[in-house]
Amino acid sequence: MIVETGHYALVLAFALALVQGTIPLWGSLAGDRALMAVAAPASIMQFLLTALSFGALTYAYVVSDFSLVNVVENSHSLKPLVYKISGVWGNHEGSMLLWVLILALFGALVALRARRMPDDLAASVLAVQAWISGAFLLFILLTSNPFARIATPPMEGRDLNPILQDPGLAIHPPLLYLGYVGFSITFSFAAAALINGRIDAQWARWVRPWTLIAWMFLTIGIAMGSYWAYYTLGWGGFWFWDPVENASLMPWLAGTALLHSALVMEKRDALKVWTIFLAILAFSLSLLGTFLVRSGVLTSVHSFASDPRRGVFILAILVFFIGGSLALFALRASTLKQGGIFAPVSREGALVLNNLLLTSSCATVFIGTLYPLALEALTDAKISVGPPFFNFTVGLLFLPIFLFMPLGQMLAWKRGRLLGAAQRLTFAVAIALVAGLFLAAANGEPAGAAALAGLAMFVIVGAFVDVAGRVTGGGFSLALMARRAAGLPLSAYGTALAHAGMGLTLFGIAATGWGVERVISMRAGDTAALGPFTVTLDDLSQRQGPNYRETVGAMTLRSDGVEIGRVNPSRKFYTSRQMTTTDAGLKTISLGQVHIVMPEQNPDGSVDVRMYWKPYVALIWLGALLMFLGGGVSLADRRLRIGVAKRAQPRVRGPAPLPAE
Amino acid sequence: MTRKQRRLTLILSALAVIGVALGLVLYAMRDNIVFFYTPGEIVAKDVKPGTRLRLGGLVKEGSVEKGADRSVLFTVADAQSEMRVRYSGVLPDLFREGQGVVAEGVFEGAKAFRADTVLAKHDETYMPREVADSLKKQGHWQPGGPPAAPAAK
Amino acid sequence: MIWLVFAFLTAAAAMSVLAPLARAGRRTGGLSRRDADLDFYNAELAGIARDLERNLISPADAESAKAEAARRLIGGADPQAKAPEAGSRVARSVAALASIVVLGAVGLGLYGYLGQPAFPDQPLMARKTAPPDRMDMMAAVAKIEAHLERNPDDGQGRDIIAPVYMRLGRYTDAADAWGHAIRILGSTPQRETWRGEALTMAAQGKVTPDALAAFQRALALEPSAPQARFYVGLAAEQDADAPRAIDVWSKLLADYPPDAPWAEMVRQRLTALGAAPAAQPGPASPAGEAIAAMPGAERDAAIRAMVDGLAARLAQNGGDEEGWLRLVRAYSVLKEPAKAQAALADARRELAQTPAALDRLDALARELGLGS
Repeated sequence: MIVETGHYALVLAFALALVQGTIPLWGSLAGDRALMAVAAPASIMQFLLTALSFGALTYAYVVSDFSLVNVVENSHSLKPLVYKISGVWGNHEGSMLLWVLILALFGALVALRARRMPDDLAASVLAVQAWISGAFLLFILLTSNPFARIATPPMEGRDLNPILQDPGLAIHPPLLYLGYVGFSITFSFAAAALINGRIDAQWARWVRPWTLIAWMFLTIGIAMGSYWAYYTLGWGGFWFWDPVENASLMPWLAGTALLHSALVMEKRDALKVWTIFLAILAFSLSLLGTFLVRSGVLTSVHSFASDPRRGVFILAILVFFIGGSLALFALRASTLKQGGIFAPVSREGALVLNNLLLTSSCATVFIGTLYPLALEALTDAKISVGPPFFNFTVGLLFLPIFLFMPLGQMLAWKRGRLLGAAQRLTFAVAIALVAGLFLAAANGEPAGAAALAGLAMFVIVGAFVDVAGRVTGGGFSLALMARRAAGLPLSAYGTALAHAGMGLTLFGIAATGWGVERVISMRAGDTAALGPFTVTLDDLSQRQGPNYRETVGAMTLRSDGVEIGRVNPSRKFYTSRQMTTTDAGLKTISLGQVHIVMPEQNPDGSVDVRMYWKPYVALIWLGALLMFLGGGVSLADRRLRIGVAKRAQPRVRGPAPLPAE
Repeated sequence: MTRKQRRLTLILSALAVIGVALGLVLYAMRDNIVFFYTPGEIVAKDVKPGTRLRLGGLVKEGSVEKGADRSVLFTVADAQSEMRVRYSGVLPDLFREGQGVVAEGVFEGAKAFRADTVLAKHDETYMPREVADSLKKQGHWQPGGPPAAPAAK
Repeated sequence: MIWLVFAFLTAAAAMSVLAPLARAGRRTGGLSRRDADLDFYNAELAGIARDLERNLISPADAESAKAEAARRLIGGADPQAKAPEAGSRVARSVAALASIVVLGAVGLGLYGYLGQPAFPDQPLMARKTAPPDRMDMMAAVAKIEAHLERNPDDGQGRDIIAPVYMRLGRYTDAADAWGHAIRILGSTPQRETWRGEALTMAAQGKVTPDALAAFQRALALEPSAPQARFYVGLAAEQDADAPRAIDVWSKLLADYPPDAPWAEMVRQRLTALGAAPAAQPGPASPAGEAIAAMPGAERDAAIRAMVDGLAARLAQNGGDEEGWLRLVRAYSVLKEPAKAQAALADARRELAQTPAALDRLDALARELGLGS
């Protein structure tokens, strides 16, 4: 009964989406407050129904209800509970249900904030959000229904795939989806602004916190995915420019650009058309990513052609929303009042440069990802656009972003002084030079790594120069500094943290240049040098697992003869699947990691060992974590909250977290 | 600066950045794009020796020879032709005789190929996309799996 | 009971729409545009003051920014825009009625089409009165394995565990076990054949040189062994030696009655190689002869009747692995892919507890191009 209730709740959510998509919109166009008022409660109900449905599916997984096809195919009664639950979104149907759940969650969150927004804006935003929910609910119900039943349920499920039982894989999709789907709300805001015909600085203020939330989760989601690939895939890389990865990177680039352009729009009432366009673009790229991942075009253009039902449905959704919003855009763009024009050397000017570079990088990734697909579909020629292409183009486009990042933070609005800003950065430049030279001396070749690391130091130190200057601006007395520090808006700290996070990530990437990779054959008792360490293979042992045989290497890491840790890389052979997997042995030493895999066992009893020493590699993900935190700090800034709570509010709610600088 | 000049500056800088990005893309496309061929296509299209490409096909049964220092020789075949591949390094987990493979490297002419990367993915059903498509077209490959054996129980 | 729950959900959904309509748009907190504009203007002024204090902006620029904000406040207020009103009664009634109709019709209609309200939940714990066989089998396997570890020369034990490995899909282990059995108890055609089959399965259906050698040993001991002959033919086919495969299989068919359980499959493969199984003698069973003698249309009907009989029998007793394989294949031969698909789905369900059977079904589905 629980299962069928979940199924019905899902259908009902679709029906409610139809209502929620039309009545408030009608109200907003007709200026009818009663009709507009439907939006908020319906959105919350929409979320409750979707959550009920998701809960019912989760319940079915937890109790191993094999009368659901989805549970049979993606679960097994012997799985640990955590992986039964994560199995819910570990498959196509369940992950699409999670998609709409998050879509509804964002709708409900906006609904809760609706009291602080102009009626017509809130009504239109929630109506557009309902259209998106409706489209995806229909997609789920008609092509990917997780509640399909089997008349005579089997006693056991099919999936006990050990590779998928991994904590990283379990929490990575929800985080990524929070980001991906979060951009739906900025899209809804954009569409609402176009429908209502009010596109102004105020709109930017409403949309910024949502952009920030989506951006935060997308950042952390991408970082988690990257870390997962790093430690499970066994060849030590952290980013492969795989189409699936690119699908999440493109909305991130567009979203980062949006975050900055919305700031200009709010402060200066400029870049309006562009900001709206970016809001549409960010979500369109999320949809595109969903299409690429879910339709199967990536696995094979031909398999897509042979079973196109799902792919075509998502494509139709894609075309409808992107086409529809662009049509609205074209209709309204001409009526927009021209925004402010500003000097090239100013905060606005720097943000425009940031936008140009970010969107260009985004376009580059787009071309590199889709060009092979398009070429194959059109001419049947098969090409691969590999990491060298992306490293080269995106790398070069990001260099100026890093160079100008601290500078832009120093410039004043309207009219900045380049020289003054540069002077204030002298300290950061000095530190960057010293750090670069020191790192070059300590780590040697390649010089490029030291140069990049120096640039990263410039970004990190530069991110804090502004804050530091403001704290010490009144003199160096401790009490005064503390008072000034407390007086600074949180968003200033948030910006500094997020920018420094970018710098940390860059530092981690730069340091990969000093990484050491060795592939050698070893026998028990052998010792090999790895960068500053030695690795001794003490013992090789065989173990029999429940469904695999395992060869485990016991290794000791030493630095100058002193033991600093042990690692146990292993190699598992799954007898029933005839499949070998390698588990890396990882040891984190300060910020670097030793990463050891044993990819092959030789007939003579020795093993091939692939060893990496990756100094500072942890910074890549710690940087992303810092960006996430920076976003959170900015989000907590109450300063910019519009002061209506004090006035005309029947009930005073908690302070609204409103946006960042 | 006048309004007009400012707008002009904005537009020009936008065009400059876009131009640079486009230039980068085109430049990188020229050098970093690798075509995918099966052994048969190399023969049919008369690919010049020294070309960098991705070679895909099935690893021929019994063709893998392991030498000293992780050097490996194996034959990649499709329905029409085959190619002897030299590779030095660790083969991926899923490299197996009779299975699909993609090797990236340089075609040295006369059915010889020097690979610097051999690709496979962590998925037991994974067949590199290009390989599957090409072989299917040639009617050579049926998705793996044992044929139903005659029952003599 | 479930309908009560559905009714409750529907009512809740309807209330979320009807309640705000019934309140007739009394302001419940949302802002009018005018208020929002004013608030925004105040916030902007505060922001400019802060920027000025922090030297982010020159005093002159601050003044012009303030002026700009004021201009926007005035300019933003669209003179034609009317403040939202409670709206007309008619609009509200139409909206209320339409939502009830949509929620009811779409909700019940679509669910009626997709859902199975009478289908109860089936949590595994409730269905499991006894632990499933599979667990017992696992325990048994572990026990025998432990025993074999202590007594590595127990050939009988290997003979027992090998077929179990096959059922569990552990083909390499099965091949090993039969290898030991052959070493200890001696080579028999059956053991060699099984070992060859295990090796073949382990190689995902490729008859490896090792496997071929095993089949040839079996044939040396018993030249007529049908299973081994089939695989020798398969090896030839995989070596792209079609004539030899045709030769081996045609002879195999000729030596056995055409209703041998594997005969249909061999014929299929022969046809796939482009060789009509001409060497096949006329049907030997009385029923077969009768059918062969019928004219085309009647023969079709008779075959169909037999297939239907098989389907009916399987519907009663679903555990017959061979029967299912035959049925799926038969539908496919009769060019009824929909029925073949359905039979395949039924078979998967019935045989879900036998992984080896599922593997065979998958293999068959792939062979026939049925997809899965």
